[in-house]
Order: sequence, then C-alpha cells, then structure tokens
Amino acid sequence: MAQKREKKHKEWYRLDNAAVVYAAIQKENYSAVYRFSAVMDQPVDPEALQRAVDKTMPRFPGFRVRIKQGLFWYYSEFNDAPGPFVKKDIANPCQPVRFDQDDGWLVRFYYYDRRISMEVFHAISDGGGAVYLLRTLLAVYLRELGYQIPNTCGVLDVDQPPKPGELEDAYARYATVKARRFTTLKKAYQNKGTAEPFYTLNVTMGFCSVLQLKERAKEHGASITEYLTAVLLKVLIDKQHRERPKKELPVALAIPINLRSWFPSESLRNFILTVRPSIDPSLGEYTFDEIISQVHHYLRLNINRQQMQAELAGNVKFARNKLIQVFPVVLKNPLVAFGYWMAGVRPFSGTYTNPGPFQVPEEMRPHIQRMEVILGQATMPRVHCASISYGDLMEITFAGTQKESDTEREFFRFLVRDGIHVKVESNRAQ
Amino acid sequence: MSYCVHCGVELDATAAFCPLCHTKVMDPGRPVDTESPKPFPTERGEVPPIPKGAVAAVITAMLACVAVGCGLLNLFLKPGRAWSLYVIGATIMLWLWIVLPLLFRKIPLLLRSVINVAAVVLYVYLMSVELNGWNWYIGLAVPIILWGGALWLLLALMLRVYRRSVISAAAIIIGSLGVFLVGVEFFIDRWLTGKVDLSWSLVVLTICVCTVIPLVVIRHIPAFREEVRRRFHT
Repeated sequence: MAQKREKKHKEWYRLDNAAVVYAAIQKENYSAVYRFSAVMDQPVDPEALQRAVDKTMPRFPGFRVRIKQGLFWYYSEFNDAPGPFVKKDIANPCQPVRFDQDDGWLVRFYYYDRRISMEVFHAISDGGGAVYLLRTLLAVYLRELGYQIPNTCGVLDVDQPPKPGELEDAYARYATVKARRFTTLKKAYQNKGTAEPFYTLNVTMGFCSVLQLKERAKEHGASITEYLTAVLLKVLIDKQHRERPKKELPVALAIPINLRSWFPSESLRNFILTVRPSIDPSLGEYTFDEIISQVHHYLRLNINRQQMQAELAGNVKFARNKLIQVFPVVLKNPLVAFGYWMAGVRPFSGTYTNPGPFQVPEEMRPHIQRMEVILGQATMPRVHCASISYGDLMEITFAGTQKESDTEREFFRFLVRDGIHVKVESNRAQ
Repeated sequence: MSYCVHCGVELDATAAFCPLCHTKVMDPGRPVDTESPKPFPTERGEVPPIPKGAVAAVITAMLACVAVGCGLLNLFLKPGRAWSLYVIGATIMLWLWIVLPLLFRKIPLLLRSVINVAAVVLYVYLMSVELNGWNWYIGLAVPIILWGGALWLLLALMLRVYRRSVISAAAIIIGSLGVFLVGVEFFIDRWLTGKVDLSWSLVVLTICVCTVIPLVVIRHIPAFREEVRRRFHT
C-alpha cells in the first residue's frame, strides 16, 4: 500500500527553457543527444561499470527521469524502471531518443574495448552538468576496480544525498532583469551535404597537443577556443566560396556558453546560452588573422553578465507568456519547432562547443588516457564540431549525417599546415 | 604509424584508408594492423520500429465514435433518410486509408491500391443506396473510380522510378490527368447517350500534351536542363 502511494506521488519537474525546446523538436531525424567518452588504460570491465552506474545514478536524480507529455507542456518525472543498463557500444552513436522506449531512459551507458561512453539527452542536462555525472561515475568505477579515489575536483560523494540546488531551474532563478527583445537573425550558409541512410552518424576525431594549440593561438593573440572557432569559420567561408553561390551568405557558428561561471549555480540541469560569431564574406575577403580578430573581439564584447542575463530573461518571459501557455502541447510543438528553425538552425552554419579541460583528481589521472565528446545529428545533413581536452591532449570531433567529409578534411589540413600534429580516427566505413 | 599523403594527418594503425580524403594506406614497411580492435565499434545499433499500434487504436476509436454516434442520431433525427450512411461510409474509407497502413507495414503497392479503390467504391455505394442510384452507380461511378484507380497505380509505379526528377514527375502527373479526363468523358458519354463523342476532354488532353512535350525535351537535353536550373534556382 505504502509502495502504491509512493508510486502515485512520483517527483516531477517542470522543464527548463532549453529542455522545452529539445523535448518539442526531438524527432527521428534530429538528435539532441550528446556523448562524452573516457578511454581508460585497460579494457572496460562491464560488470564493474554496471555496479558503478547502479551506485552513481541515485546521487543524480536529475538524470533519473523520463519525459512525459502533459496537456500544455512536457514535464520530467522520476523514473523508477530498472536500469539504466550498460550496453556494448555501437557504430552509430547518439541515436535520437524516443520517450516511450528503452523504459524512458534519457541517459545511456556504453562500453567498447577501453572506452566508457555516456550519452545524455539535452533536455535533462547540458555538457557542464553531465561532466559531473561522468566524472563521478569514472571515480566509482575505478573504486570498483580497487583504486582509492577521493571526492575532490568535482567528483561528487555518492553516499551523500543530492543537493536541492543541483535540481534548480537556474534560468528561472536569474530571469530577474528586464527581458531583451528577440531579434531576427540573418540566414547563414547552411553547409548541407548529402544525407546518409537512416540513423548513420559519421564521426571523425582529431587529436592534437594542447600546448601546440595554445602556442599557435597565442601567436594570433587568441585563446584556443577562439583559434579553433576561427579555423572552422575560415574552412566554411572557403567551402562556400568554392561552391560559387549567386550570393555568399554570412558564415556563423553557434557557440554554447556555460553560464555557471557567470551566474553562480549548483544546477546540473541546462544552463547555457549560445553566442553567434559570424563573418560576412559578401563584404570582401577576410584573411585568417582578420577572422581571428573578429572572433576574439566578438566573444569578448558579447559574453558579459548583463547581456546574457537579459537574453535568458527574454527566453523565460517568452515561455511564461499566457497566450503561449494555454496552447496544448501538440499545437505548441510545431510552433516551437518553427521557432527553433528560425532562431537555432537557419542563422547558423554549424555548432562548435568546447566544454574545456576535463579535470579529475590526481589519483584518477593515470587510469584515463583521453576524453572524447560527440554531438548528435543536426536537423539537416551537416557537421557539428565539439572539442574537449584532457591533460595535454585536445580531442576535436566532427559528427554529422552527411556523406561528404570536406569540412573536417579542410579543418584538419589547416591545423597540419599551421604546424600542429594531428592524429585522426573515424567510424567511417569506405 | 602511417600518415595520409594528402592530408598530412597521422592515421590509426588499423585504418586502411584516410577518413578525410579516402586515400588508401599503402605502406609496404608497415601493413595495416588487422588484429587490434578498431578505434570505433563496427556493429550498428538496431533501430526499433516506431510502435504505431497506439496511434491506430486512437484513430480507430475516434472514427468509430463518429460512425456509431451518427448512426444512433439518425434513428431520431430524420429517421426517414439514411443520411448517416454518408458519415459511416466516410469513416470506413478513412479507416482503410489511414489505419490499415499503420497496422500492417509494407503492404504491397498493388494490394494497397486495390484496398484504397475498394474503399472509394464502397463509400460511393453507400451514397447510392441512400439516393436510390443503382443505375448511375454501376454505369458511371464504378467505371470512373476503377479507371482512376488504375491510373493512380500506374502513376505510383512510374513515380517510383522518376521521383528524383521534379521535371519528370510533373510531366507524368500532367499527362496522367489528361488521360484520366478522356476516360471520364468516355464513360459519361457512354452512360448518357450510349455513343462516344469526345470533345472537351480532347481540349484538355491537347493542353496537357503541349505542356508535357517541352518538359520531356527539357528533361532529356542537358543544356536546356541546366538553363532551367539556372533561371529557376531557389
């Protein structure tokens, strides 16, 4: 009886602003799923990994949820199904989620040889929150193998109850200023390729030295993120130019910014905004140094607390609009999808995300060889780029559902020409 | 360790080709390692089909409610006329068109066409019952529906082959429309007067042919095709 009552009163959460969008636009040919992987020093023991997952998941209730459809909004609800279970890895990662399948799990764990991978649906957390789960999981896994790992450097104590702040909707908390009006962004070059057959995700990873990258970036007076953003912009500008369009469109990238470093929050749910560095080739030819300078100054000028707070307040105000609230969710979905296409797809040529260095306690260091990150398939056949560093190794991934590999080819060739040693691995089959 | 001769990037020891430019690795001193595990798994994850049973059940329930509701209402509202047959016929037709493909995947095209045409024949039959119109039903409606169904099947088969070309698809659809209307006039004449004297449908057919010929020419002459693509590109 007590169990029945408990079942009736499952915890549920309102979705945050970003989650509302990701839940509404999730479909068969778009995957708001991203993957973090750790390549260990020895082949993975799946039983120890399963034990580690079982011990870690209760500490992260925000990931132990399923998404349900309400009348007006989607919402997330505590998932009491058994699992999630670790699975053998597959060649086509980041498959779209279906809310009514796989017991509703929105987080998946895979193992292959020495690699442990974790896939997360973006509606429940962003990369900044998900790395806490992965770091803690890796620490618990290593403890299962008999190593002593302390709860430092962002490894959370799985014996402690979760903190309430980890589940907060940080957008709502900081939406206290006057909202900024939405502006319509110009259409950008779409970088579309030929679509692969259903559910194929081509992943190409490049590995290079952080020190070498830092040196090159410094020569151009920029940070690593600014340098890599500029290289990607340059590659896309040249690609568009080679295609000889009637009119060259601006080339723009979506760069997610982790807001936790600007607005103190313990939240492990979504708390990001994107900025849009862009170059308009119709104004004339830009040299690489000019592109770097544009990116550098754009990012420094636009990433500031006031501007970001006004923007997130605008998003929250939009979702609280009474007229929008009374629309049933089935009618809201196409509206949200159209809004996402107008504001999140059309004005961008791709995404580049850099969650930064993956920090672990000193005791874990020798057991992890490298970290990897993959973004799921975009709404159209084009590549998304993501990078993560661990120690002196920077990993840069291009992932997409297009057959062509020209964007990544030109990107890595550029780095090689700039004197950076790059090693490439891919899941592409000839 | 091997490097791609074109890209200058280092390749994995198990890579038989460069993933960036697809150039084969030809290193006599260091053949491709086929023993070590590849950097990524090679087995694809299977994608389970979307369960459509629930959607089918919801649509069936909705259609059944409408049909039964109208049937019952007919008993009290104008019971002298079987007006509910229009609604019931429409729900049956919609059920066969929408729900059947949800319940049974991959119904062969021929069978699906036969079912779809049979659904229309049944719907019009229910109308004819209400209107006491057996004569026009058997003499006019059934031949036109069957003729339309046959052309629809032919159209579907042709579009399977030519669907990638917008110009070919447009030519096929316009041509089929012209041919269909000739058949319609043929059946109307035969039923009304017993004598076939084609007139207006030939005008439509001529217009269709005049539209189809330039499309076929454009489709088959690359220079024209390129010109059209240039002028009408979006």
